[in-house]
Amino acid sequence: MRTKTNWVVMLLITLGTILILFPLYMTITIALKTPEDMLSSVFGLPRELHFENFTNAIQMTNFFNALGNSAMVTTATVVLTLLTNSLVAYAIARNMNRKFFKGLYFYFISAMFIPFPIIMLPLVKLTAGLHMTNLVGLTILHTVYALAFNVFVYVGYIKSIPVALEEAARVDGTSTWGTFWRIIFPMMAPMNATVGILICLSTYNDFLLPLIIISDTSSYTLPLVQYIFQGQFNTDFNLAFASYLMAMLPMIIIYLFAQKWIINGITQGAVK
Amino acid sequence: MKLGKWIAVCLSTVLMLTACGAKEESGRVQIEFFQNKPEAKGSFDALIEKFNESQSRIKVIQVNPPDAETVLKTRVVKNDIPDIIGMGATDTYSLLAQSGIFMDLTNNSLLSQVDETYVEMLKDVAGMEEVTGIPYSTNANGVMYNKEIFKEMGLRVPRTWDELLATAQKVKEAGKIPFYFTYKDDWQTVLPFNALASNLEGVEFYMDRREGKITFAEKYREIAEKQLALMDYGHGDNFGKNYADGNRGFARGESAMYIQGTWAIPEIRKANPDVPIGFFPLPTGNNPEENKLISGVDTLLAISDRSKHKEEAQQFIQFLLKPENSKQYITEQTLFSTVDGVKQDDPAVAELLPYLEQDQVLDFADHYIPAAVQLNSVIQSFLQNRDIDGYLKKLDTEWDKVADRR
Amino acid sequence: MNKRLTPYYLMTIPAVVLFFVFLTLPALQGVYYSFTNWNGFGDNFDFIGFKNYVNLFKDGNVGHAYWFTFKFAVVVTILINIFSLLIAMGLNAKIKARNFFRGIYFLPNILSVLIVGYIFNYMFSNVFTIWGKNLGIDWLSTNILGSEQHAWIGVVIVAVWQGIAYNTILYLAGLQTISRTLYEASSLDGANRWQEFWKITFPLIAPFFTINMVLAMKNSLMVFDQIIALTNGGPGRATQSISHLIYTGGFEGGEFAYQSANSVIYFILIATISVVQIRFLQRREGDV
Repeated sequence: MRTKTNWVVMLLITLGTILILFPLYMTITIALKTPEDMLSSVFGLPRELHFENFTNAIQMTNFFNALGNSAMVTTATVVLTLLTNSLVAYAIARNMNRKFFKGLYFYFISAMFIPFPIIMLPLVKLTAGLHMTNLVGLTILHTVYALAFNVFVYVGYIKSIPVALEEAARVDGTSTWGTFWRIIFPMMAPMNATVGILICLSTYNDFLLPLIIISDTSSYTLPLVQYIFQGQFNTDFNLAFASYLMAMLPMIIIYLFAQKWIINGITQGAVK
Repeated sequence: MKLGKWIAVCLSTVLMLTACGAKEESGRVQIEFFQNKPEAKGSFDALIEKFNESQSRIKVIQVNPPDAETVLKTRVVKNDIPDIIGMGATDTYSLLAQSGIFMDLTNNSLLSQVDETYVEMLKDVAGMEEVTGIPYSTNANGVMYNKEIFKEMGLRVPRTWDELLATAQKVKEAGKIPFYFTYKDDWQTVLPFNALASNLEGVEFYMDRREGKITFAEKYREIAEKQLALMDYGHGDNFGKNYADGNRGFARGESAMYIQGTWAIPEIRKANPDVPIGFFPLPTGNNPEENKLISGVDTLLAISDRSKHKEEAQQFIQFLLKPENSKQYITEQTLFSTVDGVKQDDPAVAELLPYLEQDQVLDFADHYIPAAVQLNSVIQSFLQNRDIDGYLKKLDTEWDKVADRR
Repeated sequence: MNKRLTPYYLMTIPAVVLFFVFLTLPALQGVYYSFTNWNGFGDNFDFIGFKNYVNLFKDGNVGHAYWFTFKFAVVVTILINIFSLLIAMGLNAKIKARNFFRGIYFLPNILSVLIVGYIFNYMFSNVFTIWGKNLGIDWLSTNILGSEQHAWIGVVIVAVWQGIAYNTILYLAGLQTISRTLYEASSLDGANRWQEFWKITFPLIAPFFTINMVLAMKNSLMVFDQIIALTNGGPGRATQSISHLIYTGGFEGGEFAYQSANSVIYFILIATISVVQIRFLQRREGDV
């Protein structure tokens, strides 16, 4: 039984799309206008494209430095998270019958709903004492805080992988480490994708942690830069919007190319 | 083996990060200059560049975050204090000074180069005998007006409270905006308060308040009423516009007057260099002789007591205090210099000079109110709900609460 | 100790140590500071027992932050779930270019919350107000973020605009697991759309409903970035969330210990909620 396209729903969905896209339309057009253009029309398309807003913003905010920092922290966090969190989850998942590991499981996931502000104040002192007020510290903290949620999803996934394969490997004389890296880790690819995408998004867009951890200007990440330059953006919205757009652009570009993969990855995590 | 490869990737990433985190220019001593004025970023950048080029031993880096006082306190909590701190003489300064984080400059040769009146002002604010900051520039807070609009409408600069309201009324009747209020930013709501409170009750009130001899409820009713009276002469969206909107709006001639500090003038001129600005003290009573100008230390320079480069920091401050550099700074920022002989000759603030020269000035009232009272948001809230009793009671309870915790 | 288990211990111990140092330890330190009067940077402080806690309960600002945060979280959670379920059902209906639309609706999720906040901040003050004036609508011609009564609605709008994305995708995934034949059978029985939704759709996506509620609730209880970008807690303290209060108050002189006490209270509250939620999740896992 084939029904025709439901045009009423189609119309509503399209209207909703406009609501989603309107702020982005505004961002792009404002970024390309001058303050004078804004006086004549706030909504219209720019009469001519003012790319100097972008060059000015790049210079003012030291954009490429911040982009580099964001990219580095994000990449390092994703790599470190995938390697370490999956390993921890594996150890827990295969020993859930033991008190120690079961206890660990609950210790980790109980942190899932602990709001960050609770540890914020002492953390500032702690990281300063450990000389971690830099990008390395930021990477480690992101990785550690991701553990709660990731252990939860990884353990669920690993449980669904039959133990028979590992037992066969063990009979062949492979060590526990070898078993994990050669057999389990590759089998977790779909879940790794999910975790990787989520941690990538949250690290790249995070603001509060860099805000309280980073103090050296040369280590600022992109969201932090937008915050820091509010004072200078004050009189020139066009400059500000050019800067906002550039800060969002890397993720938008990645999304354009990997949209299907990203959405499927995230869906995967929830369905399992 | 695969494991080894992964670990190698992992380690090299971390190493790469560490290497980037630790980059430092060889040979030059780097000192960090933290200051809280977004308006002054450009001016300081120019001076810093000049300083960095003038010698090859020291390199100064400027840091200027928004909400700088909170960021500065975070840094202090981290024990990561910038070498030089430029900030206003506020309660935060007093608190930090009392915690002993600044270097004692009492007998320092730098101090002898600046006007003693402001050194005394610093001592009052800090509540300490030691001097831990060099006053660098001072500001004034009052009413900015558009000379062209005043001329077109035949208005005169008001000298009394009644004249002020009458002037505003005329502007309003002509269908124009009398005051461009920018009260989405809570700190803006404090500006009229400062003029009213300092003129009508004086900063002595706070000394008595600290000892619990007096309350806001007893003394601040007139101040509260006058704060509200001004609100009748705003625009349609007094709480929806912020400082930046106000600067742009006033620059475009959207309002006749603008209750603001001199620090905003460079921002306004960025939006429109030709706007004809005049400036008068906010009249708070009906005797023009008694009305004083609100002026305070806009930027003081302090050195961290834990800095490893105190010598170099003093060298930079010495550089900033040079008459030609001070002049350059106050000219760009329309502020007033503490350095002897450096005069402000911007026509926009010409009307204020007599007050400064004859010492007809009072300090900002809010410099004496603990930051934890969060005066800004208390006032912002009051101007919306217009509940005078609630407002005065709130000021008293917040004050007591904070005093109780200290 | 069983030798076979050694690698498993080695796999977990480093994580446990890091987890303890950066999560549990700061939490314990916070508890310790909460019994002092330390301002965060001075050299000395005293133990003052439960004084901070007593003061907290007398402090109207703290009470208001809790009220705002919970009100905000509940409203945002409900709105996000209603809208995202509707959108997901729309996307699941027979429409053209479904993947294109799905891509658009997910877009806000990849954007920085802070930057989205700044963009909306501008729109609230300079775009919507122009519409209001042109259309002669009074309430739209002033900036909603400037109103003490209504500013929180502005923050809700932004949180919902962005929060819908993720939940829509999850609901859509849930809806796609439902076989068409179930609906065909029910339409033969003469069930209308409304009955169809409550009898078939909703029960089958119930697990997704749970997870979406939990996620939306958790995110909105921690609201911070939006507040910084939109109102900075104002006007007055009308939109000050608990996170924002702890951040600003904690570093605002003299309140480090006081806000640590506030954190402890917040922790106890959240822990209670978490226990309930984890039980719930676990029971669900048991069913699968």
